[in-house]
This record gives sequence, structure tokens and C-alpha cells, in this order.
Amino acid sequence: MSTNRHPIEQEELMAYLDGELPADQATEALSHMELCPECQTLAADCRGVSEQLMAWEVESTDEVGIRPHINAALEERLQKRKPAKVSLPRLQNSVMTSRWVWAGAFALVCLAVGLTVMLSRNRNEDRSTAYPSMASIEQYLMPDRNAEIALARSAAPQSISSDAKILVLGWRGYETAREGKNGFVCLVERSWMSPFNSAEFWNPKVRVPGCFNAAAARSILPITMKRTEMVLAGLSKAQMIDRMKSEFDNKELPTPEPGAMCYMMSRAGHLSDAIGHYVPHLMFYFSLTDKSSWGADLPDSPVTMNPQFQGGPEPITEFVIPVGKWSDGTAAPAM
Amino acid sequence: MISDEALMLEFQGGSRAAFDELFARYHKPLFGFFGRRLNNSARAEDLAQETFLAVIRAASRYEPRALVRTYLYGIALKLLAAERRKILTSSTSSQSAPEPETGGTPESVLWVRQAIEKLDAPEREILMLREYEQLSYSDIAELLRIPVNTVRSRLFRSRLALKGHLESQAKNNSALRPSAGQPRAERRGMQ
Repeated sequence: MSTNRHPIEQEELMAYLDGELPADQATEALSHMELCPECQTLAADCRGVSEQLMAWEVESTDEVGIRPHINAALEERLQKRKPAKVSLPRLQNSVMTSRWVWAGAFALVCLAVGLTVMLSRNRNEDRSTAYPSMASIEQYLMPDRNAEIALARSAAPQSISSDAKILVLGWRGYETAREGKNGFVCLVERSWMSPFNSAEFWNPKVRVPGCFNAAAARSILPITMKRTEMVLAGLSKAQMIDRMKSEFDNKELPTPEPGAMCYMMSRAGHLSDAIGHYVPHLMFYFSLTDKSSWGADLPDSPVTMNPQFQGGPEPITEFVIPVGKWSDGTAAPAM
Repeated sequence: MISDEALMLEFQGGSRAAFDELFARYHKPLFGFFGRRLNNSARAEDLAQETFLAVIRAASRYEPRALVRTYLYGIALKLLAAERRKILTSSTSSQSAPEPETGGTPESVLWVRQAIEKLDAPEREILMLREYEQLSYSDIAELLRIPVNTVRSRLFRSRLALKGHLESQAKNNSALRPSAGQPRAERRGMQ
């Protein structure tokens, strides 16, 4: 394969299929592949091999519990973790009554609390130093408009995204790149859609492809538009939070419509440095509610609650359910 | 869902429930890891359990520098290497290696197994870590102590080679496919 005709190497194409290319290269790969039959064949070959390999499932034995000798080692270890018991009478008979000891203990507790607060504050500062403030706008924009369109479409299976309206981010906010027919709206969200306290709120590498259904396009997408508008206007986080609160209080922003949901099944996205492209998933939106209503975050529950909004400040709860395949139909890693 | 890393730290702090959750999440994948590499389900179960024993013993030294998933497969790879040495030693002394379990295995699975066995060992391991354990390139690089680019190029080669092996097996099989009425057992024996 000549790189004159193909802007990406075969290995890079494979890496793209594995979700291993950085977002900018991934979008380049995606937009090239859409137009290149040769690369489509190679991609189909790679997927075919992976699918054939999946035939080899290893049947687990009946035994699934922890074996006794491991249980014993576990108990021993946990026992060691427990603090040694102290004989109370010995303590009571002398030093415990001394007010100097109590004063010393109080001072130690204060010191420990102070250190904990200081360390946790330092940790927060360390975490946030990677992206402490907004980068230049150019870094959030994608220079190749077609690549952004392709990345946006990759959020949902082609059967959905091919007829969806596509938005791309420009200097003045999101603009329509393609009109749609099926009510879905696909776009690539940026880092400022993270929770306001996220360490990656200003990470310019973040690219989050999403396809909102009509209900979400009417009732959730306005949040994306509003946050983007405020970011591009140069508002501080505190100003943005205040503005969002008042917009919701004054009913200028809508509450989630019944059935509002979003596809996030792209393997080419970069949701954050911490989780990369994550796993393909669907998101469902509701007015602020308790996560127990969906059994979210309970052991073995496939549902998680995304802290993206959750009253901080948007009064919206977002549940996430992973799915087994990327939008291109290939199998996704288990959670 | 609580992350593996948070569970590991909770276990380090003395939580039995956190260990149980890690066991529930990783017992089956580890069994699969050993099962595919040893073709012996009893030993696969032994070694999956031993992996957790190693986790218990090393818990105080665990540092959340790598993903728990990578950490567990790192332990599993070491146990696997030791097991293979043991098998090699015993087969050298007895002059016969244990037969892999194939009873009742579907034909498509046998093909996959045979095709994977034809790969060079380093490429085979990379391919399996990627396809079955779903590890990232950088995790594989870290585990096998090779550069990420090497992982990528070997993985690419191994996938192409595997495709070739699978295609030639399919071709051979269709060439050898008996006419209607011929017993299936004969077909199996000719492969």
C-alpha cells in the first residue's frame, strides 16, 4: 500500500480499528477509510480475523468460588490489617486521666486533619496542573471539517448516523455541516462538557462523538450549545456555573424530554486522558433523580451514573449503559 | 461502578468485599487466559486461583501505577512461564507432552487453535493478549517489556498471518469435504 495514495499506513489503520490511534489521527483514518475501498477491505479482514478468534470460548469449570487455601490466606491477611486490641484497664489506671495527654492527643488530631486537608488540596492542584486553564481556541477545533463530520457520525451505527444532522465546531460555536432526515443530531463534544470540577475540563485533546435522538436534541443538546457559547465568550468556570443555574431557574433551558438518549459508540473518540476512548455506551437523561431508581453503580449492575451534570449545576441525571459493539459493528472490550 | 484500582486500594486497606468483587470480575477472564494457553481446564483453574493468591501476598506492595487488569495479567504471565517450564521438564523426562484437550470441541474452534499455534511464539502472545485479554498496546508493551511500536508491528503481522492460516485451513477443508453420506469421523481424522 503506497502512502502517496493512502495518508495512513496499514498498521495505523489496524491501530485505528483497535481504538489505539490518537483522536486527530483516528479521524484522519476514519475519513480516509470511508472513501478507500482498499482500506475498507483491510479493515474487514482485520475484523473478520477478530470475529473468527471469538469462536474460541473457554468454558469455565463448575468451580467458581475462592478455594479454601486462598480463603485462608485472605483471612490471615485481613486479620493482620486489624489494629491490635489494647487492654483498657491498663490505660485507664494512669495516663488516660491526664489532661496533658488529652491535650496532646487533640493537638495530634488537629495536625493530622490539617495535613490531610493540605495533602488533598495539593493533590487536587497537582491533578489540575495538566490543563489548568483554557488553551487557545485553535487547539479545540478540528482543522479538517470532513474528519470532524466522520468522527461525529462514528458515534452511532451507520444506519442511524447516515441520516442524522451533523454539527461541527467553528470559531463561533457549533454550526450545521449536514442537514438530517431522522431527527438525530451527531456532533463531537469538547472537554468543557466534563463536570466543572474535572481535571480535564480544559483538555484540548478531548473529542467526544455523540448522536442525540430527537428528544435529547431538543432538551439536552441546548446544554452543549450553551456551555460552548460561554466558553467561546471567555467566561470563567464560576461565571458559567452561575449562568447555567439562572438559565435553568428561569426555564430558559429545558428539562429532559421523556426518552432523551444519546449514542456514544465511537472507537475513535478520546473521552479523557484517564479513560481514552472508553467503551461503547448509550446514555439516558432524566431530571435530577436518585441513582438507585435505576440500580446504577450497584454490584453487577451494568448501569452507571455519569457525574457529568448531576446538579453541578445542571439538574440532570445521566445513566450510562455499556454495549457490546462499537458503531462499526466490531466487538468491544468488556467493562 | 467502582474502578478496579479503587477496589484494589480498598482491599489493601482491609476490605474483604473489595477482594470478592475483584475475584468476581477477574476469575473467569484469568481462567480463559490460562485455558487458552494450556488447553487444560483443571490447571487453568488452579492457576487462576494462584493468581489471586499472589495478589493477596503482594497486596501490601501494590501501587496504583498500572491498571489492575495489567497487574493481574502480569502475575498470570509469570505463573504461565513457570508452568510451561514445569511442563517442559516433565515432558523431557517422560518423553511425552500432555495431549491438549480437544474432546467435543467444535471444528471452528479447532481451526482457530491450530492457526494460532502456527504463529511465532512472541507474535502469538501479543495477538492473544490483544484479542482475548483486550489489553491496550501500551499495556502489552509494558507486560512483555517491548516498545509499543513493536507490539503494533507484530500484531499486524500476526493478524495477517492468522488470516492466511485460517483461509488455507478453510480451503483444505472444502477440498477434503466428503461427499454426502460419508461419515463425519473420517473427515475429522483427515485434517
